[in-house]
Amino acid sequence: MKLRILFVLGMVLLAVWALLPLHTVSAETKVLYEGDSIYNHIRIDQAGEERCMLFGRYKDKRQTCLNMSKPDVSIFEYTGMMFVGFLFHPDTKDVALIGLGGGYVPTVFSRHLPSVRIDSIEVDPLVYKMAQKYFFVKAAPMQTFTVADGRQYLRKTDRKYDQIWVDAFNTDYIPVHLTTKEFLQLAKSRLTKNGIVVQNVHNSNKLFDAQVSTFRAVFANVFIFNGKSSGNAIIVASDNPLYRPSDFKQSLKSRARIGEIRLKEEAHKYAPVIEIAKASVLTDDYNPANFLLHQEHR
Amino acid sequence: MIPVYAVLIVILLVFGAAIMSLEILSSNLMSPYFGGSVYIWGSIISSFMIHLSIGYVAGGYLCKKVSKLSPLMALLSIASLWVMFIPQMHPAVGEFLSDRITDVRYGSLAAMNVIFFVPITLMAMVSPYIIGILSIHKKASGLSAGVVLFISTLGSFVGTNATAFYLINLFPVSSIVGGIGAGCLAVSVVPLFLGLDRKLEKI
Repeated sequence: MKLRILFVLGMVLLAVWALLPLHTVSAETKVLYEGDSIYNHIRIDQAGEERCMLFGRYKDKRQTCLNMSKPDVSIFEYTGMMFVGFLFHPDTKDVALIGLGGGYVPTVFSRHLPSVRIDSIEVDPLVYKMAQKYFFVKAAPMQTFTVADGRQYLRKTDRKYDQIWVDAFNTDYIPVHLTTKEFLQLAKSRLTKNGIVVQNVHNSNKLFDAQVSTFRAVFANVFIFNGKSSGNAIIVASDNPLYRPSDFKQSLKSRARIGEIRLKEEAHKYAPVIEIAKASVLTDDYNPANFLLHQEHR
Repeated sequence: MIPVYAVLIVILLVFGAAIMSLEILSSNLMSPYFGGSVYIWGSIISSFMIHLSIGYVAGGYLCKKVSKLSPLMALLSIASLWVMFIPQMHPAVGEFLSDRITDVRYGSLAAMNVIFFVPITLMAMVSPYIIGILSIHKKASGLSAGVVLFISTLGSFVGTNATAFYLINLFPVSSIVGGIGAGCLAVSVVPLFLGLDRKLEKI
């Protein structure tokens, strides 16, 4: 009898333990939302003016942050770096953004590039919903938002873009079908004559070498920009770039900054010579992307 | 008697491994056309469940009807050949269906069934069929139904992890699928020449 009571008591205690909140957040950080979507565990929290959308659980570093009173300030280096695309194609009219997150990019567009159309594609419906609710994402004449897989969107769209930005990658997991030669060929087919693909990558792992090789297999010109304060790099690729890094002085004349982003500073991050290890081209058929991602460089 | 058992064990291990290896690989076959979401996994797993359940019933039924191993081996060689054709088949199927079915859930579900219904259903017949054969030759049956399922599931465990952890990083998906098909073909054709049914009769 006693044993049974003890057993039940123990079970109840374990059940209560199971239901306790799993992590504690420091006092100044307020959790605004926490929940699961079909792809991610998403948390939105705010510390001071900085509001972040965090993906994954606990120790994960994947996040997108906005300063709520200055939402056009790039908190992470790479988000500002992606705007180097405007040095290659200053009079851009149409941009496709694959990977929305907290919507920093469309926010900058709506404030500082009002005449440029941007179609944002986000695969996770909850990310889009949260970006509308807690960040500044809002459909507008020059801003469309589509919940779809980026590759499927490009396959089905009949639009052509001056710039296609790909920012769909996490630090710990890569959607492999967005890394392949076939994907880049598809993106290339959706570009205007001088169009470019701009992609955010990390340059600290072996996946970087494979990605650069894959871009080089598809595009005649591949330019790399290395982050100064982060392990981020930006790949810009085009068959017929309007301007090249040697012409940046000219393109800077027509557009030196986009809001808080100083394009001249970003232009300095161009790395003319890139040493990459011999790496195989990623294809739909052979794609060890997630394996290479976890292999450190050298 | 040992050789018959050994052959049965090899068949169970190989097809147990092949089924799960193909299940893991199918996500790579689907993602270019339907994305890499949990939807894809829903389609993959539910399709395989349907194929397995039909295969179990068919395996049990056919075994009762014919009580011989060779018809199973013939069907398995068809399944293996089908697998060898998957690398050629899947781009056409993926493209065709993703153009016509916009919802990735139903698109991937359809593609999974077109590509995998035949081979997985046939491969799923292995365990119930062998259990049936063994129950007919009761006296010699050192392998119980439980042990048969254990061996096949052990194969599945190896197939799953070998594929997800190593093979995908080492080889093109088309080569892995083709290799699985070729391996399965060998395992289903060779026993046809070993006179297993005669040996089982003598037990």
